[in-house]
Amino acid sequence: MPHASMMRSAMHRHPVTIIAILGLCLLATGCGQTPPAYFRPNMVEATKQRLTPDQEKQVATVLLAMFGTPDEPVCMPETGLDEAKLRLAAGPVRSDIVGRKNGLYREHCAHCHGVTGDALGPTAAFLNPYPRDYRPGVFKFKSTERADKPTHTDLVRLLHNGVPGTSMPSFALLPSAQVEALAEYVKYLSIRGETELTLMRAFFELDDEAQGKLPETREFLVDETLTPIAEKWKAAADAQIQVPPMPADIDLVASIAKGKELFYGDKANCVKCHGVTGLGDGQANDYDDWNKAIVEIGKEISSGSAKARETSTSGMSPDELSEHRAQLAWIEKFGRVLDGDALEPRTIPPRNLRHGIYRGGRRPLDLYYRIHAGINGAPMPAAKGTVPPEEIWHIVNYIRSLPYELDGELGADKPMLAKDRF
Amino acid sequence: MNRLSGIFWSLLFLAVPVLGVATFAIAPAIDVWLPKDVSEHGPAIDGLFYFILALTGVVFIATEVLLFWFLWKYDAANGDRPATYIHGSHTLEVVWTIIPAATLLFLAIYQMNTWADVKMRRPAMAPSVEVVARQFEWRLRYPGRDGTLGTPDDLFLVNDLHVPVDEDFLVQLKSMDVLHSFFLPNLRIKQDAVPGMKIRVWFKATETGQFDIVCAELCGWGHYKMKGRVTVESREDFDQWLESQYARQNATQPEADPSTAVARTE
Amino acid sequence: MSIATTPSTVRHEPAAPAPVPHHGSFLSTYVFSKDHKVIGLQFLFSTLVWFLIGGLLALAVRWQIAWPWSDVPVLGKLFAQEGGQMAPEFYTMLFTMHATVMIFLVIIPILAGAFGNFLIPLMIGADDMAFPTLNMLSYWFMWPAFIAFGASFFVEGGAASSGWTSYPTLSTNVASSPGSGWGQTLWLLGLTFVGVSSMLGSVNYMTTIILMRAPGMTMFRLPMTIWAMFITAVLQAFALPVLTAAGFMQLADRTLGTGFFSPEGNIVNNWMQSTGGGQPLLWQHLFWFYSHPAVYIMILPAMGMVSDILTTFARKPLFGYRPMVYSIAGIAGLGFIVWGHHMFMSGMNPALGITFMVSTMMIALPSAVKTFNWLGTVWGGRIQFTTAMLFALSFVSMFIIGGLSGIFMAATPVDIFIHDTYFIVAHFHYVLFAGTAMGVFAGIYYWFPKMFGRTMNEFWGKVHFFLTFIFMNGTFFTMHILGAVGFPRRLADAYHYETFHHLQPLNAFMTWCAIGMVATQAIFAANFFWSMFFGPLAGRNPWRSNTLEWTAPSPPGHGNFDFQPIVHRGPYEYSVPGVEQDHLMQTDPPNAAAAALAAAH
Repeated sequence: MPHASMMRSAMHRHPVTIIAILGLCLLATGCGQTPPAYFRPNMVEATKQRLTPDQEKQVATVLLAMFGTPDEPVCMPETGLDEAKLRLAAGPVRSDIVGRKNGLYREHCAHCHGVTGDALGPTAAFLNPYPRDYRPGVFKFKSTERADKPTHTDLVRLLHNGVPGTSMPSFALLPSAQVEALAEYVKYLSIRGETELTLMRAFFELDDEAQGKLPETREFLVDETLTPIAEKWKAAADAQIQVPPMPADIDLVASIAKGKELFYGDKANCVKCHGVTGLGDGQANDYDDWNKAIVEIGKEISSGSAKARETSTSGMSPDELSEHRAQLAWIEKFGRVLDGDALEPRTIPPRNLRHGIYRGGRRPLDLYYRIHAGINGAPMPAAKGTVPPEEIWHIVNYIRSLPYELDGELGADKPMLAKDRF
Repeated sequence: MNRLSGIFWSLLFLAVPVLGVATFAIAPAIDVWLPKDVSEHGPAIDGLFYFILALTGVVFIATEVLLFWFLWKYDAANGDRPATYIHGSHTLEVVWTIIPAATLLFLAIYQMNTWADVKMRRPAMAPSVEVVARQFEWRLRYPGRDGTLGTPDDLFLVNDLHVPVDEDFLVQLKSMDVLHSFFLPNLRIKQDAVPGMKIRVWFKATETGQFDIVCAELCGWGHYKMKGRVTVESREDFDQWLESQYARQNATQPEADPSTAVARTE
Repeated sequence: MSIATTPSTVRHEPAAPAPVPHHGSFLSTYVFSKDHKVIGLQFLFSTLVWFLIGGLLALAVRWQIAWPWSDVPVLGKLFAQEGGQMAPEFYTMLFTMHATVMIFLVIIPILAGAFGNFLIPLMIGADDMAFPTLNMLSYWFMWPAFIAFGASFFVEGGAASSGWTSYPTLSTNVASSPGSGWGQTLWLLGLTFVGVSSMLGSVNYMTTIILMRAPGMTMFRLPMTIWAMFITAVLQAFALPVLTAAGFMQLADRTLGTGFFSPEGNIVNNWMQSTGGGQPLLWQHLFWFYSHPAVYIMILPAMGMVSDILTTFARKPLFGYRPMVYSIAGIAGLGFIVWGHHMFMSGMNPALGITFMVSTMMIALPSAVKTFNWLGTVWGGRIQFTTAMLFALSFVSMFIIGGLSGIFMAATPVDIFIHDTYFIVAHFHYVLFAGTAMGVFAGIYYWFPKMFGRTMNEFWGKVHFFLTFIFMNGTFFTMHILGAVGFPRRLADAYHYETFHHLQPLNAFMTWCAIGMVATQAIFAANFFWSMFFGPLAGRNPWRSNTLEWTAPSPPGHGNFDFQPIVHRGPYEYSVPGVEQDHLMQTDPPNAAAAALAAAH
């Protein structure tokens, strides 16, 4: 075949040809850069609200204008956030280590909490417990009343201490300016997430005149949507729980005894969840709010799809038929969204109090906050109103003694194991 | 052309000892070298490092230069002399077996004492701190005023190890989940933390300052994040710091000034 | 080759019939062939493909080290939401699989499977291996391993990510690391198949070398390549079962709920572990009991090949043949009693730090003896700077670096500082890449004519050598310095530590060199494939070497030799005084002048 022999002789003369071809192939495989990071829309909510693609797009456009992108954040004054701090936290991680100006969130937080703050980062699915999804604006460990937002100091303290017993590390060794920037960015992502939720839910209340489009007026978007959310954050500093001081001359032994009574008693009823042993084995079937939302949707989908399958389509009018099909399509879409845009729900076990690991902090003060206000987003109820303040202190003292209560049984007369010998 | 190519290749092999020595000479000069050592046993370890470096350096230069020289001289294009028909030399074999063997054995024996000091001769004292390694942090537990670990007055901290200077310090090292390794570069300390084992690590810091704690055994995705800090300070400062941590740990009221809520770092 | 003037003491074997053209289907000739040469080439091609994959994994690792959290080329598409920034668990997977692929799918199979298979019968004068079917199976058992390791990238959680050392409890708990789910299980399965393949091969090699040598081929007339392959096979046979057993134990821990390596009371990722009573250190002992001999498995064949190549191109006998053989045996023997040096910091009884220090120091001795003998071989020679010779010489030069750096680690107190730092990474890359891989390239350039009947292009071969040599040293030499600073291994981002934050520029330089090094291999690939079809025809003995394979046709047919080879001398009779040619092949009839000289020696 003349063609093959020509090719062969060409290659014979020019082995460099092969190298050049190989080189071009290598380049073609994708030396191109990856497009910049982007915020992921809240598909669970969008699907729940049955938004059309146009409506999803409208929300995205509005959010882009109000909040910007992960690389270029927009800081509207109504949010009350500090733009310089946001710029420090936002953006790709700069590789010029000396003089780096931004990228903190992406460097430290994004792979668990997600670029969008939606707890859908690549590592999130493997963590127990899951990282926090900021979008509902609910935070567990703070010094404010249950339904309030955390204060700025609460966030900084949490970054500083980490959340012991979880994968949230301590960032105490970061310079303070960086911790401040990260706390600010968390608020930014939370406000953005709540705004997105509010906007998506607003479609339901539109009248027919609006034709499925949200009003794009400053009044609606800023005054009616954004500002109330931001106000709650600003109000947090004044919503701190007032903690009565623990009496300085308190008889610790008596306090612990009283605390134990309350722990087992009906008023506080701690053993219902934390178990009579304090090991957290009282019950194990509840979910925190984030997981509960997914569980609920899951139930709705499976019952809806069961019903839809049972419904016979014969005898349906064209309108009914198209509605039925739309319902099936929606159920299928939701199933896919749950697969790709939500984490597998997990129950939340009550805390094992014998461990001595306290996620929200181990100070007596922290424990007081947890008992008084409960834990927002978790089944831990608020004792406020049921248990008077000085009794809360007794419970706190009892809890602090729990890790040591069994110590006496680990006697010195036990033989030393080989592994302990060195 | 053939002789030129022989020269070229020989010189390439000469570049190995030249650049090799140059790299090891330049590195300390631009401060890319052993980190500052502030431990009592550190000089012994560093001394051994330098001793081995000198020894291996001499062997390195000698063998590589010999290789270059042989390539240069015995290039087939360099003259017509036939190759030497020789199957070996019994004497040489004996010499270059005995001398390295003796050297290596000497090296091994010479170092036993330092190893024993660091890893076998534990000071008779109660642990100064318990370090429990966990994915991905160092959980510290000081024994508190009563000096005993496991009592209600223990002080709990994360990643922030304080050590009084010029005193023996004994760490009780454990792991909660997987293997980690407690690595203090500036104190020349490294010890794996093994789940199920309680391992003692001891040292004496000789200078104040702040230094890194690094995890030196792969422990998962956050292995790089397990950064801790060891602060070596005077006994007075250490005691003061302990007291301030107690106050923090036992706080029953929020700070009057929120900006003091956490320790500031620069 | 003349058959005249043979003294009556030489046996006359009836000449074997000329090789019969093989009549078989395509499948039985090229796919499920039992011919050791075809199997050897199958190994060669498979391992070279995995070499590329392992190299690309390394580049991804180097990218992250140099420019942490930046947009990764090509792989960044997997992290589109983060703008191309890789996730930290992905990084742990990258270096785990880089090492796994390089060790189990490249170095061990290419040395034993490709070169061992191809060369052993040819160099000892046999017509094939002792167990041809077993040989074929040893190749095909690699394929389940290829599939297991390859598939592990695509399962939930990704491929194994606990390091190639796979230490429990990180590897035994799916909760501790995403790759410790299906990825780790597939990893263990792949390892088992590689182990079976190696065992089949090693049994074959030992039997063949002991029983099927040509008449006159005494053990001490074997070329060093064969001695190395033989001793490597022994190492494999004794060490592998321990790894396989350990692998099964870990598989049982992961799937059957046993607790060989899990201690009690472990809480991983907030899940209380239900099994217990085991010891993580047990895995380390079992693993390193195999893996230390494994590192010798990964270099001894290359050492053997280098000896053969150096003698051919220095036109000189090997200096110290018997000491060389005893050194290889010494390395192998001592290799069984040094495994604890991987565990100095592990928490094992510190007294073992003393015993293993002594044995580890002593294992430097046979390696030193070998190096001196190689220098002695080159001294006084008539050196031809062919590509194969250049790679073989660089093996010696680089092995000196790798071997000497090992002494630092053998020194237990020094190891306190350099364990798990880049000093270790430098050491093993010098012995494995700058050493073995250079030896492999040398072997490919050297035996390519025998394999394919054509020679590779010498000019491009030298370009390949030069660039690889430069880039390789640029990538790995400064790792010693990094290690001296204490720069730890396996960190996705080390620059946030005070001790290491000034090391980014150096790492960037090393990454550029690594990219250059991998890119350079395109020249080798081009040369390899082009020469296979268009290279100049080689003839039987293009290098004028002495060993038996050069008497066979290039490439040899089924059955290898035209006539039964009969061996009259050792393999290194070059530049024998009184002989006109500067080489006397093993099968050349006895030569009076040479015999007199041998008697006088």
